Amino acid sequence: MNRPLTTKLILLAVTCLILIPGSIHLYQHRHFNTPIVQGPGVTQVVHLSHYFSGLKGTQADTPVFILQGKKPGGKILIMANTHSNEPAGMLAAVIFIENALVQQGTVYIIPVFNNSGSRTTKPGDGYPLYFEIKTPWGKRRFRMGNRNASPLDQWPDPDVYIHYPDRQLLSFIDARNTNRTWPGRPNGLLMERVTYAAMELLRQEKVDLAIDLHGAETMFPVTNCIVAPEKSIKLATLTSLTVKALEGFDNHVEPSPSKFRGLSHREIGDYSETLPFLLEAPIPFLDQPTGPKTVELLLEGKDPFLLRLAKKKKLFVPYDKTGWPMAKRVGQHCSVILELIRQYSRKNPERAIKLTNVPRYREVVAKGVGYFFRNPEKADREKIVDI
Amino acid sequence: MKHRLSLTSLILVIFILLTLQIFSQNPAPEIPKAQLPVLITSAGQSPDVTTVNIIAEEAGVPYDYCDVPTVDLVKAGVGLADKESGPGFHVEIHSDLEKHPKGTAYKTMIFAIGASLKGMGASGLTVESELKRLQSLIDYCQKNNIFIIAIHVGGASKRGAPGSDNERMIDAVAPFANLIIVTKDSNKDGRFDQIAQAKNIPLLQVDNALEIVEIFKKIFL
Repeated sequence: MNRPLTTKLILLAVTCLILIPGSIHLYQHRHFNTPIVQGPGVTQVVHLSHYFSGLKGTQADTPVFILQGKKPGGKILIMANTHSNEPAGMLAAVIFIENALVQQGTVYIIPVFNNSGSRTTKPGDGYPLYFEIKTPWGKRRFRMGNRNASPLDQWPDPDVYIHYPDRQLLSFIDARNTNRTWPGRPNGLLMERVTYAAMELLRQEKVDLAIDLHGAETMFPVTNCIVAPEKSIKLATLTSLTVKALEGFDNHVEPSPSKFRGLSHREIGDYSETLPFLLEAPIPFLDQPTGPKTVELLLEGKDPFLLRLAKKKKLFVPYDKTGWPMAKRVGQHCSVILELIRQYSRKNPERAIKLTNVPRYREVVAKGVGYFFRNPEKADREKIVDI
Repeated sequence: MKHRLSLTSLILVIFILLTLQIFSQNPAPEIPKAQLPVLITSAGQSPDVTTVNIIAEEAGVPYDYCDVPTVDLVKAGVGLADKESGPGFHVEIHSDLEKHPKGTAYKTMIFAIGASLKGMGASGLTVESELKRLQSLIDYCQKNNIFIIAIHVGGASKRGAPGSDNERMIDAVAPFANLIIVTKDSNKDGRFDQIAQAKNIPLLQVDNALEIVEIFKKIFL
């Protein structure tokens, strides 16, 4: 064996020694599931591919929980983990799935909208792969994902992502971002097929309201708000005013820009009869000038650097030593969803949606998010769905 | 005797203090009446005008809305000359056309104060042209006895340093209003108190914008 070949083999072995142990964690993360209990209100569980078969068998397919009331009425779709590194929405969605009792109308819930994105991480940012929520019966573990789909599922990236159908030029990375690929197309990239499937759900089921749950940096002006296009803005404003008056938290309204394409709050409104809303809860974890990206930062939202910036009035939300705990963010999502439903039902009694047994802001903050989770070990096996 | 005197003095002092306290308290401001039909518009093109529209709807007050009306459009009265919404121009007609047919002159104008460069840009306005438009509308209202209500519900985010866009919008409208309505967080520095006092304008302050629904009911219905 000559010397260069030996060197190459040694280098290959060293590379494998580094890559394999590192990859094992990523492999396990990609295949880790959280068992969710179908609450008493869940009447059916289908997959998104039910509405568009082009997703079947792909990592992008994802469960859709349907909670149908006995009395016909309006319909709402709640989507979470469009960006899987903003998990407060997913936790709120799980609270709805495991607790909500629907008396009138139908609630569709997709807790992990970008399933591929939830099974990868953000390279170079030192994200934790998991986080745990304390419950009265132990801890429940969830995957911490990424903003964009995994390159394992959609590759290669284009040099520039050309949005369909408006042909607006977007960043190449947005081709894997399910909040840039709306309204999608049946023969497009995998993430365009995900949003197309959701559009089909909205159109086929004649859904009245669609809510896309997100989180945004405290240094970003579009945070702690409801983003709504022209057709939804009055309902959003009424909801914002009501939660401020009755529950004491701010959640201002941001108009959806008409010339920025691909976003759920724009395209759902333009390509269906549905009224879209995007809820942004502050997530200090995503701010750039923070300390290490730890689970504690994700859950508590406390950071000394952000505290200093808050004193210099550089943040767009009130921020003090208490940070922005997960319960506050999840509670805001729950209350704003419930209020949007209430106000819509009040204005459209013939399409009313009535549901109970979902906690509002103060209750989630007081009792914690995990208080509202059901124990999968005590549930019937056929009632468990992995997400 | 000494004890009785001091007790009498004490009672007297308490009585005087209580009397002073009662008279020094500001009496609750009387809510003036405004008449329909009413036109709601924006002073500065912030989304706060949507809040005011919703307040009117919740109060059951029929209204017309135009984000950037000119004097000619206001002159055209209810229905705003059948103009239709388009890019940078929005109209909504909710006036009771049976009671106030198209063309009826407006008796009240509500200005939702709050500057938004994005909003002004979308309507093809600059701060200067918006101020000029507002001045012409205020002049028209004053000449034609149209009741002006100035509303600020945007809180601290729609306030700023003296001379900033938001403060200039306030200067353009509030001192000429017949009634000012503000949320407490919009008036933390007492700016609206000062304007109201200097110009002898009734000022109503509320904790949150939804409380204006009840005020609208009292003003209009």
